[in-house]
Amino acid sequence: MAAVDDRGVGSTEPRNSAGGGLAGARADRLERYAQLAVRVGANVQKGQTVFVNSQIEHAPLARAITRAAYSAGARYVDVHYRDQHVRRAMIELGPDAALTYEPEWLKTLARANAGEAQIATTGDPEPDLLSDLDGERVSRARMKGVTEIYRQQLVDRSVNWTIVAYPNDGWAEQVFGEPDIERLWEAVAACTRLDEPDPVAAWREHMQRLEARSAKLNELAFDSIHYRGPGTDFRAGLLGNARWMSALFRSRDGVEYVPNMPTEEVFTTPDCRRAEGTIRSTRPLALNGEVIEGLQLTVAGGRIVEVEADRGAGIVRGQLESDERARYFGELALVDGTSRVGQTGVTFFDTLFDENATCHIAYGFGIPEVFDGEPGEGMNVSNVHTDFMIGGPELEVDGVTKDGEVIPILREDTWQLPE
Amino acid sequence: MTERIDSYADLIVRVGANVQPGQTVYVSALVEHAPLVRAIARAGYAAGARLVDVRYADNHLRRAFIQNATDDDLTETTPWQLARTEALADGGALIMIAGDPEPELLADLDQERVGKARPVEAMKLQLRAQNERAVNWTIAAYPTEGQARQVFGEPDVERLWEAVAHSVRLNEPDPVASWREHSARLRTRCEQLDAAAFDAITFTGPGTDLTVGLIPGSRWSGGGLTTVDGVEHVANLPTEEVFNCPDWRRTEGVVRSTRPLSLGGTIVRDLEVRFAGGEAIDVKASTGADAVRGQMDVDGFGRRLGEVALVDGESRVGQTGITFFDTLFDENATCHIAYGSAVTFGIDDIQGLTPDELRERGINVSSIHTDFMIGGPEVAVDGQTADGKTVPILREDEWQL
Repeated sequence: MAAVDDRGVGSTEPRNSAGGGLAGARADRLERYAQLAVRVGANVQKGQTVFVNSQIEHAPLARAITRAAYSAGARYVDVHYRDQHVRRAMIELGPDAALTYEPEWLKTLARANAGEAQIATTGDPEPDLLSDLDGERVSRARMKGVTEIYRQQLVDRSVNWTIVAYPNDGWAEQVFGEPDIERLWEAVAACTRLDEPDPVAAWREHMQRLEARSAKLNELAFDSIHYRGPGTDFRAGLLGNARWMSALFRSRDGVEYVPNMPTEEVFTTPDCRRAEGTIRSTRPLALNGEVIEGLQLTVAGGRIVEVEADRGAGIVRGQLESDERARYFGELALVDGTSRVGQTGVTFFDTLFDENATCHIAYGFGIPEVFDGEPGEGMNVSNVHTDFMIGGPELEVDGVTKDGEVIPILREDTWQLPE
Repeated sequence: MTERIDSYADLIVRVGANVQPGQTVYVSALVEHAPLVRAIARAGYAAGARLVDVRYADNHLRRAFIQNATDDDLTETTPWQLARTEALADGGALIMIAGDPEPELLADLDQERVGKARPVEAMKLQLRAQNERAVNWTIAAYPTEGQARQVFGEPDVERLWEAVAHSVRLNEPDPVASWREHSARLRTRCEQLDAAAFDAITFTGPGTDLTVGLIPGSRWSGGGLTTVDGVEHVANLPTEEVFNCPDWRRTEGVVRSTRPLSLGGTIVRDLEVRFAGGEAIDVKASTGADAVRGQMDVDGFGRRLGEVALVDGESRVGQTGITFFDTLFDENATCHIAYGSAVTFGIDDIQGLTPDELRERGINVSSIHTDFMIGGPEVAVDGQTADGKTVPILREDEWQL
């Protein structure tokens, strides 16, 4: 796998460590993490422009990524910082038109991403920042035209990209109830295999195992997946021209990259016309600066027809209203108990991690990477894509073949198919 | 603390840029300026902005860029930067935040590359929009620990805040009214200078014997600007200067800078420049001379003057007795000149002229504009009339007209 190569991660790269001791070790960890994002994650190629999208609170990681990207041969590293407080001011105080206004230069920027590398950082420093605002305005504040350009690039596979998280005080507070940033760093390092003596080799082995799982699922050619657990009895149809895969992607230009770090899932895009039943989410979902708890969905004819939640249902409803195809499903993903994310026992309140702790599904946009056909014919096309968790030891997952044979895939978080 | 930063943001939005309802407000700041930027976003929307469009820069990224970019890429403008600047030039309001949190961050780099690294095409377009009075804009500073350490030798941000608040009249009971009065006083000075119709200004002091030729008919500006659409704005907070556009062909003699100059991550000390036929032919400094030379050579006209400005001892900035290592403040402490692009607010009928046509009228066109300080109690400033009379303007920092 070319994405996971030996170009220096954790080995002999010059390091910008701040001297010895604990501070030096932590600075070194940050540089190694950035190297992993650049060389394994996005797999930045010589001469590429690297677009980095970060919140300003992620500046230390954005800076380390910038250094790592130049050392990997990037021509130019173009960092775009976002500030959720500026966004808050817009939603709270701005005119209605500001919510959906799209400056032309942002479209120019979006178009410039084609053929280049992209690294996004997550890790929300103030997860509840927007929670006291009008949820409908929060949901409406989206740039559909800009999103559409990036979405088309996903369909075209024209960008090699990845997402990594930056541990920060606010996020640690949400996860542990106290701003124990070092504890969060340790959890993130475990999830991203940064604690391995040779993180690159660890990633190679890991991706091979996930590739083997998806190969087996493709061989079995299930017609549908059946989920059963407390509050969940859900059947999702599969597509003959969609396959299962792991998050080892290949761009149009042949660059292999790992779009999520960590990744523990094998996934496919379902037949958006065939989904029935009820679903109860097993973990909190962080969305648009809010936390949704106890989400329950009722699905009929492929469509989400009812949304309930203990908290934050309005945010989900607002998002489902934002375009007419948001109510249909775009992803099914399977994760077992060997997941490093699951093993930490931590709820990260960040989809990048939580979706890799356990099985999940997503409503909204499908996954062009796994689909061989015209988008819209079976695979859902939408401007949203929201993953939520449905897995856990109590969830049973079966594959159902075309002639009705039922084959167990997961029991008590243990993978049932031969590996 | 919150109250002070909110009233500062309000001053920046309402007096500085004077944001008009329906305008897009473009904010340029460093990530370290976030608390002020956030307050500006709130104040901007409260003033009726259509959108507050913030672009955060980061000098650590700039450092990596200067270390790694090819020579050609150093001066390149990306398509989106150009698109954003074009949108700004089309009736936007512009707020730039100064205040360098790590003033020596780039000091160990190749200073010629430091001086050159800028998106030339976008900068030209922005300076042109400012000079043609197409945008209402302002520059204001955010006090940071790094700057406080540089100024006071310790990270006493509160002390720096107090100096900034004094300089921008934030400690007045009614800052907006105080600014109105202050602007009127500076405008009176401009009228005095315009009435005298000087042909040149001379500076005489230790290490300085400089004559700066003016453009006939070019008026003095100060205390605020007015856009072509009639929006009054105060381009610098603070401002204590009255300034004019020199003829780029008519500066002669030598000048010694009287204050350190902070130049995008490098400190220039003891700068001395010799001019002949308007051109800086010799540049010396005890530190940072290469950064100045690199910047001057970014295009063919960086070695020519674009501004001459007069400041007296009543300046609130000067009164603090502080060297801020930030041009925005230090240039308002005392008299200064700038090499690079001209300030053309006092010249009529230049809209749409090509760079060559502007130069024919004596107006310098360049992608840079850097002020450096040449005034002080020991520097005498005189006006020279076309018929050879010498009129004192400043003696021992006191206004003589």
